Amino acid sequence: MIFIFGPLCSGKRAAAMELLHCTARELSARAVWDVQELAAQAGDLERLADELAQRDAVIATEIGCGVVPVDARERAAREAAGRLNCLLAQRAQAVVRVFCGIPVLIRGELP
Amino acid sequence: MMTLVIGGAGSGKSEYAERLLVSGGADAPRYYIATMQPFDEEGRARVVKHRAARAGRDFTTVERYTDLASLSLPHGGAALLECVGNLCANELFSPQGSGDGAEQAIVRGVEALRRQCKTLVIVSNEVLSGGADYLGETERYLRLLGRVNRALAASADNVCEVVCGVPIYYKGGALR
Repeated sequence: MIFIFGPLCSGKRAAAMELLHCTARELSARAVWDVQELAAQAGDLERLADELAQRDAVIATEIGCGVVPVDARERAAREAAGRLNCLLAQRAQAVVRVFCGIPVLIRGELP
Repeated sequence: MMTLVIGGAGSGKSEYAERLLVSGGADAPRYYIATMQPFDEEGRARVVKHRAARAGRDFTTVERYTDLASLSLPHGGAALLECVGNLCANELFSPQGSGDGAEQAIVRGVEALRRQCKTLVIVSNEVLSGGADYLGETERYLRLLGRVNRALAASADNVCEVVCGVPIYYKGGALR
């Protein structure tokens, strides 16, 4: 599994298509995105990470680098999204951070 | 040797900083300088979580919310200061803080700590990438944290950002 993350609208899915050599249609079968939204509801982040890691690519939008939210639930959701990213990175053969559309390999090897 | 470790929420920055201190500090006595004042249940839970993560690694915990400069540690130890985000808030807003003198108080405090320690690892918070439209006290806080991060990065031997548990070095390199 390739774990791809980066800011909103940074070109993460386009990078995934390039890295997996696939079309947009094929991507929806091979990859899952917006996983940051799944973290808050998950009772067991390790299990969620195991399930997601079955895909060829997992894509997350980085949401943890802004001002700490006033709302406790929002704070917990942001923290959970960050933890999920760490767990996905541990399971990935390659971790790619996308910066302005440029994929940067920060750990592992691309398939 | 001073290393600045920066990361966002849940980025794995604390775990990485602890690993760094344990691997880089060798057999030196370890100090954990905690700057977060636990005001509520969430704060207390955070302290418990962090203490559990450090358990078995032989850290002496020192609680220090403001006035880092007058903290005295036995010389030659390895210290982990966590985190600069809290220290900034405390210096700026707490009655014991130095208010408008916060930046100087923190930078001088870190210098004083550095002179006493063989290895110093400092954890700071990335909160400056989520928008620029803040007013009043929030803006004052963000500006302070940005300035302090820059000052610490300028004087540190190593500077890294932790993303998804992976360190990315912008200056220096990982401790051996």
